[in-house]
Amino acid sequence: MKPVSQSHKRNRQMQTMITHIALVTLSVLFVVPLAWMISTSLKPITETLSNPPRWIPSHVLWSNYPDAVKYGSKELGYIPFLVYARNTIIITVLSVGGAVLSNSIVAYSFARLKWPGRDLFFGITLATMMVPFPVVMVPTFALFKYLGWIGTFKPLWVPAFFASAFSIFLLRQFYRTIPMELSEAAKIDGCSELRIFTDVIVPLSRPALMVVALFTFMGSWNDFLGPMIYLVDQNTFTLSLGLQAYQSQHGGTPFNLLMAASCLVILPVVIVFFLAQKVFIQGIATSGLK
Amino acid sequence: MIGASVMGDKAVSRQGGAGRTTVIYWEKWTGDEATEMRKVVDAFNKSQDKIYVRYLSISGVDTKTMLATAGGNPPDIAGIWLDQLCEFSDAKALTDLSPMAKAAGLGPDTYIKGYWDPLNYRGGLWALPSTPASIALHVRTDLVPKEYGSPETFPKTIEALDEMAMKISKKRENGDLEMAGFLPSNPGWWNFAWGIYFGASLFDGDKLTLDSPENVRAFKWVDKYAKTFGSKEVQSFQSGFGTFASPQDPFMQGKVATELNGVWKASYIHVYKPDTQWFAVPFPYPADRKDLAGHSELSQDVLTIPRGAKHPQEAFEFIKFVQRQDVMEGLCKGHGKNSPLEKVSEEFFKTHRNKFIRLFDSLARSPKAFSPPQIGILPQLQNEMNVAFQEVNTQQKSPDQALHDAQNRVSDLWTTYKDQVLNK
Amino acid sequence: MRGRDARVGILFAMPWIMGFLIFMAYPLVASLVTSFTNFSILRPPSFIGIDNYKELFHDQVFYKSLGNTLLYVLGAVPLTTVAAIALALLLNTKVKGMSFYRTMFFLPTLVPMVALGTLFLWVFNGDYGLLKAGFAKVHMSSPNWLGDPAWSKWTLILISMWGCGQAMVIYLAGLQDVPVSLYEAAELDGAKAWAKTKNVTLPMISPVILFNVVMGIIGALQIFAVPYIMFPNGAPARSAYFYAMYLYDNAFQYQRMGYASAMGWVLFLITLTLTLIALKLSNKHVHYESN
Repeated sequence: MKPVSQSHKRNRQMQTMITHIALVTLSVLFVVPLAWMISTSLKPITETLSNPPRWIPSHVLWSNYPDAVKYGSKELGYIPFLVYARNTIIITVLSVGGAVLSNSIVAYSFARLKWPGRDLFFGITLATMMVPFPVVMVPTFALFKYLGWIGTFKPLWVPAFFASAFSIFLLRQFYRTIPMELSEAAKIDGCSELRIFTDVIVPLSRPALMVVALFTFMGSWNDFLGPMIYLVDQNTFTLSLGLQAYQSQHGGTPFNLLMAASCLVILPVVIVFFLAQKVFIQGIATSGLK
Repeated sequence: MIGASVMGDKAVSRQGGAGRTTVIYWEKWTGDEATEMRKVVDAFNKSQDKIYVRYLSISGVDTKTMLATAGGNPPDIAGIWLDQLCEFSDAKALTDLSPMAKAAGLGPDTYIKGYWDPLNYRGGLWALPSTPASIALHVRTDLVPKEYGSPETFPKTIEALDEMAMKISKKRENGDLEMAGFLPSNPGWWNFAWGIYFGASLFDGDKLTLDSPENVRAFKWVDKYAKTFGSKEVQSFQSGFGTFASPQDPFMQGKVATELNGVWKASYIHVYKPDTQWFAVPFPYPADRKDLAGHSELSQDVLTIPRGAKHPQEAFEFIKFVQRQDVMEGLCKGHGKNSPLEKVSEEFFKTHRNKFIRLFDSLARSPKAFSPPQIGILPQLQNEMNVAFQEVNTQQKSPDQALHDAQNRVSDLWTTYKDQVLNK
Repeated sequence: MRGRDARVGILFAMPWIMGFLIFMAYPLVASLVTSFTNFSILRPPSFIGIDNYKELFHDQVFYKSLGNTLLYVLGAVPLTTVAAIALALLLNTKVKGMSFYRTMFFLPTLVPMVALGTLFLWVFNGDYGLLKAGFAKVHMSSPNWLGDPAWSKWTLILISMWGCGQAMVIYLAGLQDVPVSLYEAAELDGAKAWAKTKNVTLPMISPVILFNVVMGIIGALQIFAVPYIMFPNGAPARSAYFYAMYLYDNAFQYQRMGYASAMGWVLFLITLTLTLIALKLSNKHVHYESN
């Protein structure tokens, strides 16, 4: 028996090695865009568009970061970056809260409850994603105008509380992988649907709920079109809209400042992702229970 | 979220002060160009105490203005592009400025004809200029033969330009281009209009003439360049060009010896490579069409008052202020452009960053200067002509075929447009 | 009991039903109605019957952009699906530093489009691009990825790979739900790694694969931002002009909202058809525990 287990062990080591090599090579490929962004954010303006492009700035300009944050403050009388950040945080927090709450419940209904018209309505739900946005943009604008929401944050977060087709579909697919027997057992124990949902389904779906939270966070944080259409006043702008201010209509974009600002804008998302993906690992621990 | 919008209102009233009417001004500019316009806005706000103009840099200003106008809540002033004026006017999106302009004494005598005429369309005046431009051939003194090294001695005809361009172009051993004397596809902003330099028109007020003999002649000329240099070689060479707003601009780098470009070019040279030796001349004319000398395409950024604006009178007060000779000259100088006004001060020419500003001014006044055709489907027309140009330049279609296709397609669109928009 | 179940089901779905009625029903119906009108956003629409649809069928650019888009879907969806699953499987192994790797692979989906656009413009540049230099190293000539009409679409398909991080995350979450006991059972049967993947992992995450494929099709059919930045107007010669770009141009550049709406609903039908095909094909292969 001994030699077998040793060869087994060696096999395992080989496998780990290969995995590491594959991971390192691929992650280099994937990290190129971000590395390029960071490198540009530290260059003097004259080197940003040089060709052939250079990776390492001739001298590292950390001052691009404070410059980017203060960009435009002279004209506006306040530091727009900080105001944009505050606005973005307000919208994002509300959206994530609303989305997790509403989608988890709605998807439960579509995945595990039976009601007349459910499958038809689910089909309609999927279909709403197939109509391209520009086509519904004008009537949607008219609707929010009718509600008196133009110029406020409401069009950007209130709909999150009413679930979204993408997240419903996603969660439904996950909920359906959970064996029905679990629900039935709970039902026999006298649990209400709400109890089954909160005590059985939610704990088992943490990775999926995390994905919904993460994607809503990203979507809301990076949303450009929504704020562009619905926000009017400069001090209600969001970060992604603010990034446009660095871009000049007629060239002369300060790419180094633009990238520095972009790095600052995506930093929170990177951190959130890094923390969120830990939940996946915890998921492994719980899945052993099933 | 409520806090923020309330704060926004407060900011308005604080800046506006009691009893002042706030005029909302949406403009496409950001960065330095925005800064120059802000100076004008500040000066206006200081000059009187009835009106307060709020300048907002808006990305996607055309789309956003359209949505806001449709929603009944447009800005009082919108800065758009001249190319969209007919389209916007046909869509009844703009206020006719003629009564207010007349009352203010602004008319055909105030402006250079080439800038005034395109603002008038179907019996109305739909905009007044902010900053205009004209274009000319820019030449690298050090890259052309000595005998051509001055505006006076530079080739006057297209044929002579071609001959010089072919002679001075350099190829590497593997066939790659190293330097081109001239490239019709660079910078590529006026590809649709090459026919006009050969005496063509694109639109005669009713019919489209995209495949007229003059247009075909122009595209055959483009075809000749693609064939001589090799279309693949040109494309790969051109993909190595940096953006015009960088020291890697092909003209500044010496990858092209000559280039058709606008009055603003000097500002970029000044910023990115001030030691570039260059001069500007009117673009050459075909040897058999001496009458075409002094051709230049004119363009302008314009100020409009959207339909349904809350304060059109006050908005016009500001637009009028921009048209004041001293204000306009300051703004145009800041943007590195020529002035649209008939009267230009000697001071303007003397202090302008562009040493060839007089040439650009005279090109704007040239009877041969032209603006894009006044047609509501101009964006489509330009797109189709650009596609035709690319098809010829990449050797996918013959000049005849490409223009024939463009003509058919734009004609169909024009028929539909007349039917659906103009005859309603 | 039955009626009560139905009531509970509808009650749980209420937020979405309300949201649909308040925020979506009107815009959807309005856009469908608009597709039968001549509407410029700025002037009131006038009814023109099916003229917009008739015009579409004669519109060369419509066919061109649709062809480009379908080719993109056919190329990008399978490619990103395979890549995302492979990456997720790789990232689901218990190797040190996995948190770090996961973040690395996800990063490109966080980089703003402008940055991504300028970077890829350089990578694929036909004169001094990174890829061209790579090809030159092994003494091969590389195509002009961006400037040659024959290559521009393939460049975009290749670029779609960098966006597979999003699907990868969903697969990762899906993999956490595969019961360990199933793997143990397979191991007892002496299954090798590939057999385990094929017989256990893939069937178990098949609902998630279906989700990603459907979303991939919907997303790829509406591709807009990257070509919009990298290939203005679909240049060269409309070789990279996609359906959503033409639709957007009609809606906002040419002020033909009616025509754009007709395009939108035709795209809707195309998407629906492709989705139904995907659902039909998957019927046999998708495995739901709850059924």
